Amino acid sequence: MQSKSAQREGILQQLAEQGGATALAVAQVARQSGVPEADVWGAGTFYGLLRRDPKKTLVCNGLSCKLHGADALHHQLAGQGVATEFVACLGLCDVAPAAVGPELLPLPASDQPAHVLPSDPNLPIDLGGPRDRSYRGLGAALKLGPEAVLRELQASGLQGRGGAGFAAHIKWRSVRSQPSPTRYVVCNADEGEPGTFKDREVIRRQPDKLLEGLAIAAHVVESTQIYIYLRGEFERERRILQDAIDQALLGPLAGLEVHIVRGQGAYICGEETALLESLEGRRGMPRLKPPFPTERGFRNQPTLIHNVETLACVPDIVLRGGTRFASLGRREPGAKLYCISGHVARPGVYELPLGVTLDELVAHAGGYIGTPLAFSPGGASSGFLPMGERSRPLDFASLSQVGSMLGSAGAVVLNDSVDLPLAVHWQLSFFEHESCGQCAPCRLGSRWMRQALDRYLASGDPAELSDVRDVAWEMLEGSICGLGQVAALPLTSALQHFPHHFGHRPVTQELHHG
Amino acid sequence: MTNSVPEIRDCDLMFVIGSNTTEAHPVIAMEMKRALHRGARLFVADPRAIWLTQMAEQHLQHRPGTDVWLINALAHVIVAEGLYDKAYVEQYTENFEEFSALVADYSPERSEAITGVPAEQIRQLARAYATTKKAAIFYTLGITEHTHGTDNVFALANLVAITGHLGVRSAGLNPLRGQNNVQGAGDVGAHPDNLPGVQKVADAGARARFEAEWGAAIPTERGLNLNEIMHGIEDGSIRGLFVMGEDIVVSEPNAARLERGLNELEFVVVQEIFPSETARFAHVVLPAACFAEKDGTFTNTDRRVQRVRRAVPPPGQARPDWEILADLARACGYPMPAYATPADIWAEMARQSPKLAGISHERLDRDGGLLWPCPSPEHGGTPTLHVGAPMRGKVLLHAVAYRPPVEPTSAEYPLVLSTGRVLYHYNAGNQTRRDRGPNMKFSSNFVEMSRRDAKDLGVADGELVRVVSRRGQVEVPVLVSPRVRHGLVWMPMHNFATATRTNLLTIDKGDPITGTAEYKVCAVRVERLGA
Amino acid sequence: MADTLTIHIDGQALTAQPGESVLQVAKRNHIAIPTLCHDERLDAAGCCRACLVEIDGQRRLQPSCNWPVSQDLRVSTRSPRIERHRATLLGLYVADHRLDQDGLPVHTTQGNELRTWAETTDFKRLLAIDSPRHPRGVDANPYVAYDPDLCILCARCTRYCDEIEAVSAIQLAWRGAETSIATAGGRGLLDTTCELCGGCVDVCPTGAMHAKQAPRFEKPGAVQKVRSTCNFCGVGCQLDLNVQDGKIIQVTAPPPGETVNDGNLCVKGRFAYGFVHHEDRLRQPQIRGADGELHDATWDEALHYAAKGLLGVRDRHGPNALGFVSSSRCTNEENYLVQKLARAVFQTNNVHQCAAT
Repeated sequence: MQSKSAQREGILQQLAEQGGATALAVAQVARQSGVPEADVWGAGTFYGLLRRDPKKTLVCNGLSCKLHGADALHHQLAGQGVATEFVACLGLCDVAPAAVGPELLPLPASDQPAHVLPSDPNLPIDLGGPRDRSYRGLGAALKLGPEAVLRELQASGLQGRGGAGFAAHIKWRSVRSQPSPTRYVVCNADEGEPGTFKDREVIRRQPDKLLEGLAIAAHVVESTQIYIYLRGEFERERRILQDAIDQALLGPLAGLEVHIVRGQGAYICGEETALLESLEGRRGMPRLKPPFPTERGFRNQPTLIHNVETLACVPDIVLRGGTRFASLGRREPGAKLYCISGHVARPGVYELPLGVTLDELVAHAGGYIGTPLAFSPGGASSGFLPMGERSRPLDFASLSQVGSMLGSAGAVVLNDSVDLPLAVHWQLSFFEHESCGQCAPCRLGSRWMRQALDRYLASGDPAELSDVRDVAWEMLEGSICGLGQVAALPLTSALQHFPHHFGHRPVTQELHHG
Repeated sequence: MTNSVPEIRDCDLMFVIGSNTTEAHPVIAMEMKRALHRGARLFVADPRAIWLTQMAEQHLQHRPGTDVWLINALAHVIVAEGLYDKAYVEQYTENFEEFSALVADYSPERSEAITGVPAEQIRQLARAYATTKKAAIFYTLGITEHTHGTDNVFALANLVAITGHLGVRSAGLNPLRGQNNVQGAGDVGAHPDNLPGVQKVADAGARARFEAEWGAAIPTERGLNLNEIMHGIEDGSIRGLFVMGEDIVVSEPNAARLERGLNELEFVVVQEIFPSETARFAHVVLPAACFAEKDGTFTNTDRRVQRVRRAVPPPGQARPDWEILADLARACGYPMPAYATPADIWAEMARQSPKLAGISHERLDRDGGLLWPCPSPEHGGTPTLHVGAPMRGKVLLHAVAYRPPVEPTSAEYPLVLSTGRVLYHYNAGNQTRRDRGPNMKFSSNFVEMSRRDAKDLGVADGELVRVVSRRGQVEVPVLVSPRVRHGLVWMPMHNFATATRTNLLTIDKGDPITGTAEYKVCAVRVERLGA
Repeated sequence: MADTLTIHIDGQALTAQPGESVLQVAKRNHIAIPTLCHDERLDAAGCCRACLVEIDGQRRLQPSCNWPVSQDLRVSTRSPRIERHRATLLGLYVADHRLDQDGLPVHTTQGNELRTWAETTDFKRLLAIDSPRHPRGVDANPYVAYDPDLCILCARCTRYCDEIEAVSAIQLAWRGAETSIATAGGRGLLDTTCELCGGCVDVCPTGAMHAKQAPRFEKPGAVQKVRSTCNFCGVGCQLDLNVQDGKIIQVTAPPPGETVNDGNLCVKGRFAYGFVHHEDRLRQPQIRGADGELHDATWDEALHYAAKGLLGVRDRHGPNALGFVSSSRCTNEENYLVQKLARAVFQTNNVHQCAAT
C-alpha cells in the first residue's frame, strides 16, 4: 500500500531519466515518490525502454524489417563496432530495415520521409497537404455546441481507428453522461502494431489536427485535462507535438491542460486499459472490463480514449459535416489512413476510402516487389491472408468475415521469397515477447505456440503442430485482452490458408529469437 | 473492545490513539489496512511517527502524557460546534452539563500550546469523527500506561458517548489488549477486586456463590493490585510470592528496586516454561507446559473465548499449569476437586458466572469462539456491546481534568523516555529471543532518538550511549530516527540482556485506580560514553 | 441495504445481495467453479481465468469472480465451451508446472490447488512450456522462500502483500513468460519492507511461496493439524499447529472466513514457534539448596516444599503478606485456579496479573 502522499504517476518517466529500472534508480525513485520500492521495480522491469542498455543502438525485429534484412543490418552495425540490441518493433516499417540510436532518433538510413498521397484538400487529414494550424474545426464546434457536434459525429459513422472499430459517438455520449464532474480525454498515441506507422505520420505532418480533435472532444465531454500517451520510441514526434502544444496553448487550446506522457516500450500499452495503468505509473496490464474507461478510466474517472487518427478526423467532421465524411468510404464510412510495407515499391501511409482493396493500396505504393505470396491486412494481429483475398475490401466487416481484421490498417506484403513458417515464427515471437504476462492463456499460450512452431521448424515434422488449434482456441476464449485473443492468429491463419507450407520439411538450422 | 475484530474492515473512519497497531497487534492492523484499502479515513494520534501515521489523513503528534488535553479539545469542538448526537446524549448519558462545562475550557488553541498538535488538525478530526457513522476509536497502552490512564480512557469514552458511536457496528471504543489472555485472566478473577465471571469481590451474592462452590471463606477486603504487590515487595509488607508465567523483573518498572525487594522475600515460587530473570529469585521452580502442550481457553481482546489445544507433549517432566496448581493446592491441604480436564475447571467457574454461563468447552469445540456476555447455552454471544442502549442504561460522562505526568523533565533529566514494542519481539522476550527471525531483525536493546538530540549530544547512529534515569542506567546503541521528535527518546520493553533492560529506567508510579504504571513517560538523560 | 436479487445459475434461481459476485453466489450454493487467483479477502483479479463462465448477453466468457450480480442475470457454469476452456487452460498450467512421476503437478506440504484441480478434471496434455521466471537471489531471511518453478502467477501473494499486509514488499516484475514475483532489485526479504507475516506463503495455491523451516513435500496425512489460539498478543488469532512426530513443524492459518483473524497471522504467530521445542525449556522441578543454587527435585518434593514455604509465610505474617502474580499468558482455567489458590486456600485477594502490559 502506498502512503497517503505518494506520487505514482511520474515514476516511469523518472526511471527513464535515471537511465532505466536499475536497482539504484528504483530505490531513488521510490524514495522521491513515496511509492513502495517493489512497485517501482515491478513497474520498471515491465517496460522495454526501461530495461534496455541506454548506450545501445536498437535494431528493429519487426516483420517488415526482417523481410528487408534486419539481420544483415544488425551484422553490419556490429561489424562497425556499434553496440546493438534487437527490439520488437520501432514503428519505422516504411524505411525497413530500421534502427534508432541510443537517443531514440532514427539512424540516417532509417531517416527518410514517408510516402504519402499528394495534397488533396478533400481528404480529412491530408498528410501531403500543408500543415493546418487553423483550428477552424474547433471554432465551429464551440459555435455548434456539444449536442450538434455529437450529431455530426454520429452521422459520420466514425469508428475507432486504433483497431477495435467501435463507434466513436457512443463513447463520447457515455463519458458526457457520467455523474462525475471530473473527466479526462486521453489520446492513444502508443502506436506499436508491427506494420503500422500512420499515427506517427499524423503527428509529424498534421499535429494540430490531432490537438484540435482533442480540444473538440474535451469540449463535448466537458473535460479540461488531456493526456497524450505517446510511444516512447517516437522521440522526434514528441518534439514536434510538444512544440505544437506549446504554441496552441497560447491560442486555441487556452484553458486546457495538455500533457504528453511517454510510453516506455510495451506494445500492450496500446490496449486502452493497459495504457491507463501505465499512465498511472503501473505495469501495463489490461484491466477487467466492465467497468469501461468511459465510466471509470484514468484515476478512476470517466475517460474518453481515442486513437490519434480517430481524433484527427474530428475537425473535418465538424467543419464539413458527418455525412460528407461518411460518404468518403465505400461500404463503411470515412477515409482511412492505410499503411503499407513489406514487399512493395513505395511503402507509406495513404489516406484512401475505407474499403479499398489490397491491389488498389499497393498500386498507390508503386506495385508489388516480386510475386506476392501473402499479406497481413492489419498488422501482426490480423494474421496472414492468401493473395486470393487481394480484392477483398480492406474494411472492418469484410476482413472479420475471413477471420482476420482491419485492425490498425498496417498492411504488410510478403512475396514468394519468404519462408512463410519463418515469418510466422517472427510474428509469434513478437507476441510472446509483448504478452504482459497477467493472464495464463496469453502468457502460456503465446509461449507454447512459438515453441510448437519452433519444434516443427527444428524437426520438420508437422505433428508438432497438432495441438495448435486447441491452444489457439483457448487463447481466443480465455485471454483478458485483444493481444492474447489474436496472438495465435499468425499461425492459425497460415495453417488455414497455406497448408502446403506446413508439410514435412528439412530441418531449419537457426532461428533468431531477438 | 465494545466491538468485534471482524467489524474493523467495514469502518469508515478510524481514530487510533496510543496504539502502534502494526507492531503490537499486527493482525488487527491488517483489518485496519483492509478498511484503508476500501477507502476508510484514518487519523492517528501518537507522539511517534509510526507506520500508521504514513497512511493517515492526519498525524496528531502530541507530546507524551498530554492525551487528556488532546481528547478534551476534540470534545470541545464537538460540543462547541453542536456536532454531538443530541438525542443520544439526552436519552443515554448523564452528567453532560458538568462535562461540557469542563471541556469548554479545552479550546483547540490552548490544546495546541500544551499538546503541540495544531488546532486545525484537532478541529478536522473532531468534525470528521462526529459526522461519520462507522467511526471507531482504537487505543492501547499509550493511553493506559500513565498515572492518568483511567482519565484518558474516560475522556475517550466521553467522545464515543456524546457522538452516539456506541452500539453501532464498526464503531465503538476499542482497547486492544496486549496479551493473549489479559482479558480472560481478569475475567476469571485474577484481579484483586474481582471474582471470576467479572463479579466484584464486594458483591456479597457472588462471594456467597463461590464460597459455597469452594467450601471456603473469601476475604471481603480488596486485595493488592500488581503495582501494589510490587511496592509491597519493596517495602517489606509482602513476604512471600507466587509467580506464574510472568517475568516480573523484566516487565515491571523500576526493576532494580524490585530486585532488591525480591532478595529480601522469605519465599518465592516461580512457575515457568523458561529459566526467566525472575527465576533467579525463586526458592522453587516449577516447570510448566507451554500453550501448545495443554488444553484450555484464552479470551482475546474482543471478549472472544477460544480453545487452546494440546498438540505436542511438554518437555521432560514439565506439566500443564492447571495440573500443577491443583496439586499445589492439595499439597497445602485443600481438597481441590479431581479435574479430568480443564473443561471441568471452566464448568466450575461458569456455573457461578452469569455472563459466562453459556460457554463450555464442548460448545467451543463445536462452534469455535464465543464472545461474552453469553448467559445461556442457547445464546450466540455478543459481538457488539451496547446495541440498542448502553448496558447500564446510561453512560456516565466523566469530567476529567488534565493532570501532568508524574515525573517532569528537568535540567538533570531533560528527555522524556517512552517505551513500547517492536513487531518481532514479544513482551519480556523469553519466547521470541530464542527464535532466529526476530533476532535477525533486532538482537539488542536500543534507544531511538531524534536527529537533533543526537546531534546536540554528539553521537552517531549505532553509537553506544548511557541512558540514565533517577532509578537506573543502561548502555545501549542509539538509533537515530525521524520517528521521534526533539526531546523524546523511545526504547522497546523487550528484554535482550539483563543489564540493558529498559525497565531499569522506568518509573513505578501507577494509576490511582488500575495501578498501571507510567511506562510511557519518565525523565532521563542520555550520556556519551567516555564523555 | 438494497433488496435482494434473484439470479439464475445453470437454470437454478438463487438469491443474491447487491455487490456480490457471481462466484460468491455460486460458492454459497455449492456450485463448483474452479479458481486459482481468488481469495475472498482480496479484490478480484480475474487473471487466472479458471472461473470463466457464460453470462447471458455476453459474447465472451467472463470471470465469475469479478462479475457483479444483477436482477435476473443468467449464468451458465457448465457447457461444452466451458469444459473445453477448462481442459485446455488447465493443460497449459500443467505444461508449465513441475510434475511428479504421474504427470501431475507435484504435491506440497501446503497442498497444491493446481494438482487438486488436475486430479478431478480431464485436461489437455501439452508439451512442457518451461517459462523462464526469474528466481529470487540469495535471501537470508529464515522464513519465506520462493520457488519459481511452482509459481502460476496468480498474484495472490503480491495482492495480499499490498492489500492486507500492506507492506508491498513483493510485486509482479518483468513481463510475459518472464514474469515473476520479485522484491525490489531482487534483494532478500530482510532488506525490504517485508514484515515476514508469511501471508504470501499462506495464500499461495501451489506451494511456490513456502515456509523455509517446514518440510516441503510431505504426503497428505503425514502432518496432523491441531487448531489452537496464538499465545502472543491479544488478537486471539486461530492457528493450526502442524505436528509430525510430536514436534510442531509449521504453523498455518485456518482458512479465511472462519475465524477472528480471517486467515491472517503475523510473523510471531506463524513463525516464532521455535521456543516450544527450545533446549532452554525447564524440564525438571528445582529447589534452591543451602548452597544458593537450584537443584533438580521430584514433583512431590517440589510441590510440598512450595506448599510449606507459602503456608509458612502465611502463618508467620498473615495471608496478606502473600502476593499471587497470575499470568495473562496462561489459560482462563489456570488463572481461575491461581485466584482460587489465593482466595480459597490462602484467604487473600492479593492476586493480580500483568493487566496492562
